[in-house]
Amino acid sequence: MIIVTGASKGLGKAICDRLISKKIDVLGIARNTESILFPSMSCDISSYDEVKAVVKKLKKENIKVNALVNAAGIDVMNLAVITPPDVSQKIIYTNLLGTIYCCQQFGALMLKNKAGSIINFSSIAVSLGIKGESIYTASKAGVEGFTRSFSREMADFNINVNCIAPGPINTELLKGISSAQKEKIISQQIIAKQFAPDDVSDLVEILLDPRSRSLSGQVLHVGGV
Amino acid sequence: MKDASKIELELITIIKNHVADKSITINNKTPLIGTEIIDSMKLVELCLAFEDKAAELDFEFDWTSATAMSKSRGMFRTVESLVKEFINQSKLKK
Repeated sequence: MIIVTGASKGLGKAICDRLISKKIDVLGIARNTESILFPSMSCDISSYDEVKAVVKKLKKENIKVNALVNAAGIDVMNLAVITPPDVSQKIIYTNLLGTIYCCQQFGALMLKNKAGSIINFSSIAVSLGIKGESIYTASKAGVEGFTRSFSREMADFNINVNCIAPGPINTELLKGISSAQKEKIISQQIIAKQFAPDDVSDLVEILLDPRSRSLSGQVLHVGGV
Repeated sequence: MKDASKIELELITIIKNHVADKSITINNKTPLIGTEIIDSMKLVELCLAFEDKAAELDFEFDWTSATAMSKSRGMFRTVESLVKEFINQSKLKK
């Protein structure tokens, strides 16, 4: 079973659809699971206790977790000086702490298998330091740092931990960003073209494949930076 | 529910099984962190084994703690402190 967070929309949904099309068992995690047409559980990943409840259920049902894809994330584009504290907290709690909570708790489930893959999500915003994305960038930089350290802790158990850092991909997350802003960011990628959810799903598949077992603690930049 | 002394013996056996160097004598005062007696990987495996033992006894063993790795206050500081923590949790969560 592969756990995918943020499964109700955006990249998380695209990744679930891809894995399901390859006949892989997926459990989607999202705050609202009403629109999800595959096995799913409702959970706000920014709550340690809610993640714990999901893990408890999986343990009870003896479900073997082979991989975890932490695709859940939020973004509120704003200048840092005018961002209210509750918004800053929400971004850090969901993007950074949510990823940490899932890695800690689903990761613990994977330890006994002595095999597996964890994929976290960062962003091109970390490499470019995009104006108006300071808090989002801080949360994703945290995810990258966490990934590097956590990969060393999990290496003893043959579990690879990597991070995918996409540029602007057309999902709901980017609805507040203008075409001009997107183009400016894309122009700074090594491959200056906009990539699609399918390209990210390709990378996820590669990282889940045993042939990528030599990769851990890495940040893979979609489009390159 | 088994009595505490029996559980204690079982836990000490589990700990002994996780020490790679079998020539080392394990007693209540043996430190579990800050020495080479048990490495980080074995420590996590030990936690998993304790988790299994807790499930057998019908409670959940929570190995997370803000002071878990503290040499002065953490549950892993000695064999005795870890066993004591396990027994305490079993009493609290029953």
